[in-house]
Amino acid sequence: MAAASTPRNAAPLRILTAVPVCDGHDSAVTTINIELARHGIEVIYLGYHQSAAAIVRAAIQEDVNVVGLSSYNGGHIVFFKEVCDQLRKSGNADIPVFGGGGGTITHADERVMQRQGTDRIYFAGTPLDAMMAQIKKDYARVAKPNRKFKGDRALARAISIVESAPARYSLPTTRYSNGAARRSYVVGVAGPGGAGKSTLIDELTSRFLRSNPTGRIALLANDPSHPDSGGAILGDRVSAIYAQDDRVFFRSLATRGSLTGLSAAAPAAIDILKQSGEFDLIFVESVGVGQESDPFRIFGKGPKLVDATLFVLAPYYGGLIQLQKIALLNGADLVALNKCDHPMAHTAKAEIQARLDQNGKDQVLHPTTAAKHYDPGVDTLYAAIARLGGLDLVRGGEKACFMEDPA
Amino acid sequence: MSALGKIADSVDTYNQFVAAEVARARRDEKFAAELRAKWAQLHASIEMTKSPTGTPLPRLALPSTDEPGAIAEFLLGQGFPGQFPYATAAYREMYLDKDSEVERVVPNALGTTASGKSPRGGDNQRHPATVREEPMRLFAGLGLAEDTNARFKYLQRNQKSLRLSTAFDGPTLYGLDSDHEGVLGKVGEGGVAIDTVEDMTRLFAGFDLTRTDASVSMTMNAPAPVILAMFIAAAKRRFGPDCVANLRGTIQADMLKEVQAQNEVIFPVDASLRFLCDMIEWCVPNMPKWYPVSISGYHIAEAGATPVQQAAFTLSNGFTYAGLLQARGVDVNQFGPRLSFFLDCGLDVEYLVLGRVCRRIWAIGMRDVFQANAKAQILKLHTQTSGRSLIAAEFQNNLTRTAVELMLAYLNYTNSCHSNSADEPFTTPTEKYALLASHGQSIILEESGVFKHTMNLFGGAPGLLALERQVEKGILDVFREMDTLGGVITAMEQRYQRSKIQEAGHAYEKQVYANQRPIIGLNKYVSHEPLPSVPLARTSPKKQRLQVARLTAFKKKHAKKAPAALQRLENVARSGGNVFGELVNTVEVCSLGQITACLTNVVGKFRPMV
Ligand code: B12
Ligand SMILES: Nc1nc2c(ncn2[C@@H]2O[C@H](COP(=O)(O)OP(=O)(O)O)[C@@H](O)[C@H]2O)c(=O)[nH]1
Ligand SMILES: [Mg+2]
Repeated sequence: MAAASTPRNAAPLRILTAVPVCDGHDSAVTTINIELARHGIEVIYLGYHQSAAAIVRAAIQEDVNVVGLSSYNGGHIVFFKEVCDQLRKSGNADIPVFGGGGGTITHADERVMQRQGTDRIYFAGTPLDAMMAQIKKDYARVAKPNRKFKGDRALARAISIVESAPARYSLPTTRYSNGAARRSYVVGVAGPGGAGKSTLIDELTSRFLRSNPTGRIALLANDPSHPDSGGAILGDRVSAIYAQDDRVFFRSLATRGSLTGLSAAAPAAIDILKQSGEFDLIFVESVGVGQESDPFRIFGKGPKLVDATLFVLAPYYGGLIQLQKIALLNGADLVALNKCDHPMAHTAKAEIQARLDQNGKDQVLHPTTAAKHYDPGVDTLYAAIARLGGLDLVRGGEKACFMEDPA
Repeated sequence: MSALGKIADSVDTYNQFVAAEVARARRDEKFAAELRAKWAQLHASIEMTKSPTGTPLPRLALPSTDEPGAIAEFLLGQGFPGQFPYATAAYREMYLDKDSEVERVVPNALGTTASGKSPRGGDNQRHPATVREEPMRLFAGLGLAEDTNARFKYLQRNQKSLRLSTAFDGPTLYGLDSDHEGVLGKVGEGGVAIDTVEDMTRLFAGFDLTRTDASVSMTMNAPAPVILAMFIAAAKRRFGPDCVANLRGTIQADMLKEVQAQNEVIFPVDASLRFLCDMIEWCVPNMPKWYPVSISGYHIAEAGATPVQQAAFTLSNGFTYAGLLQARGVDVNQFGPRLSFFLDCGLDVEYLVLGRVCRRIWAIGMRDVFQANAKAQILKLHTQTSGRSLIAAEFQNNLTRTAVELMLAYLNYTNSCHSNSADEPFTTPTEKYALLASHGQSIILEESGVFKHTMNLFGGAPGLLALERQVEKGILDVFREMDTLGGVITAMEQRYQRSKIQEAGHAYEKQVYANQRPIIGLNKYVSHEPLPSVPLARTSPKKQRLQVARLTAFKKKHAKKAPAALQRLENVARSGGNVFGELVNTVEVCSLGQITACLTNVVGKFRPMV
């Protein structure tokens, strides 16, 4: 790899990138994302057509060093200002905003935008390497505790601190709560990459939000770092449509060399989220992992990292023998066969159920199609989680599920 | 095997057939004689004309050969213009000067004796399929409806036939009203703001849309059914209820490439495709002159795809629509002629032949896999020169780039064409550069003699043939790869097209900044002048507020009727009825944003992909 890599001991820069609302020009930002990651930076990509509110929410929860916007459809002066204003008003003015938009953002625009809080603009024709060097120089920062941070930002900063030095973590002494101490139910989600874990978690989130009109949910998404550059493109937020809600705390964690399926900081991050007393439910998504792995430590002697484990697999797992080898199927509290719209789903259902029956633990297989909204299989799965976690299926608001509680 | 595999095979089979026929022509005396006779007949149909300097020229150039193998190769492999497999052209005459004097040639006496002169004005009988209108079609949209209307009038001064091509602003493209939270700054930027049927009426005020040479195009996708319904409603208000069948034009509405490249998707993929097919199904009988979908590679290429990827993804999307419509029971010979295509034309060498190769693959696939008749086999092509090839540094060079791309587009005999303005990197075109862009087309087609006198200038040239073979092979390889993934939609769910496009887009930028791809003024022959400051077409906050005020007034006026109209729409959507049939009514009293919200409530939201 020709790309410059960050020294292993320094925590990588974290940048949030996004394209403004009503704008789908993502080709530039996609290239920028790849380049940033290649240069050892962790990119949290939010996607195109993003509102200022969504960008600010993500910047806070991800505790990024800086926000980079790529704007082409005009209105950038108004939009960048809105992002800067919302950051300032929420007490997060320390997060700088920069961006680019080829020739659509002029030098004269940049001057106006800088007066209104934007840090800088990268104009059309800026060589990629020069841009990367400048970004690394301008936005390097060490995450330190900051008493001025409130709410989600304080939580997010606590996670950043453990992320930069996971070994030094001991239980926090401060509580981050706004007073409402809730008991959190923590569900770890594992399964092969591409099985639909992220999609399923998002669909489950929508059920939670519907049935708990005042509750909050936290999502910890672990994704791999690039082994050579140390950078990462953390893109889970793009598809998490229900996470666009202040009641959802979403945090992306790069594995930074950890091979367990979770970031080394994940245990501490879970702890921080629980201690905050903010959340009724926490989902922790592991990286897509191998057959033997046990990211949530459910088999060892020590304490488990989570209250329950959800194992997700798709119909094409490679036949009975492969199925036998998946260790987590022995211990998972919940098993979902996702992608039931797939032609192989029927056979898979029977095979997996037989595999679970061998365990003699009364494990139930949940057939789901997460790609479909309002899928009854997801409803049933959510009902099962809610029962385990003591969560309401109907409270004040709408029912969690479109069908009746199957119990 | 998905249809794609079958299509790839059908093209290979066709190529083998051509090779076999060529061999037979060389072997079989009887067949050879037939071919020669046909060839003589075709030659006889060719008229002669004269260039302004007096050089006599045939109106159509055919390969100069009498060898039966070569004749078979041309007629079957490339096709007489307007004949299967349409590589040469969709129609016989294309850009030939319609008014010049021509002379009929006496059969078998090539280019020598003439029998009678005839002026060509408006003569439709001899080659009825010939396009009689100029290909220029300039994309325009800015500010509020009246601003775009004024721009249309300005551009129209340089057009013979009525050509209105509409660009919409961001909020409209995403189905949002101008009063939606946080979008005010985007109102009227990059296109025109349309919220209601009243805006639509203002947009085309003063134009007679029922003229036979009128054609309106709208670059609109996810909300296409709503916008087309507004267009119909506005037209009815002005031209009476019976005008609908006479409306001619195109709406883009190509949702597959939205998921793959342009990123304007509102509803989940299955719902998006359902709304699209509802609209096509409604248009086929009710709007016989309308193209309800423009299957577009432009956005795919501009997002970064290589020319081969552009062609492969676009054609495969087209075949997917054909499959979906057939599965709904619509006759291929009914919908086939109503499909239109839209390709990008950049500076890469593959663009010399891209249109030709696409027409050929489409025709073979439609004929041999979809059993379509001749009219349903023809790929009708709109081309836009590449926006991405135009850069900010020394932007006057963009005029040259666009001119070269226009030449390539015409060499492919595109049916219609948009040329980008030199100020493309900075702003929605300002008047000055839009005019220059339109003049670019006129200079090539009207001022220069290149395309005026002789049709089929280069077809069959060795370089083109070599390129055609490679490009076709590249396209079929992509078809087969997608086939193994389960076809276009399954591949798309796995991000196949997106990741290919992104990879290619990244590679392109890397090549530029590593000086591996010369870009004059950017990485070669650089003058180090500061970026120029050009006039910008921007929408003032005052106008943006005016648009919101108009919308508020509309909503107030229809506050009583809107809820019932939305309820009816919801019922149709839930019961699986034809949503488009109902939208035509809904738009009378509801705004775009109200309708989007109603439909989202029924089918849910699209889950975007990286
Ligand atoms: C590619 C393109 C498209 C593609 C986009 C594909 C995609 N998925 O991205 C397609 C064809 C789909 C498209 C569509 C539209 N487009 Co367009 N498009 C362009 C084009 C040609 C190039 C933009 C680009 O990607 N350049 C490549 C990048 C890598 O290079 P760059 O722009 O020079 O950027 C450099 C720096 O600025 C920097 N940078 C950029 N962003 C960021 C962000 C960060 C964080 C950093 C660090 C750096 C950085 O990186 C680059 C390298 O130095 C421009 C015109 C032009 N030539 O610039 C029009 C342009 C942006 N589009 C325009 C318009 C109007 C539209 C449409 C609204 C048209 C319509 N009405 O339908 C639609 C909207 C699409 C949508 N969903 O929003 C207008 C905007 C006008 C305005 N603002 O006044 C432009 C300027 C063209 C024009 N003159 O009309 N478009
Ligand atoms: N057909 C189908 N695709 C699905 C389903 N659930 C998820 N997907 C798709 O599978 C891909 C991987 O999903 P993702 O949630 O990212 O998987 P993860 O890697 O396990 O987190 C995405 O393209 C999803 O859209 C499903 O139920 N059916
Ligand atoms: Mg995932």
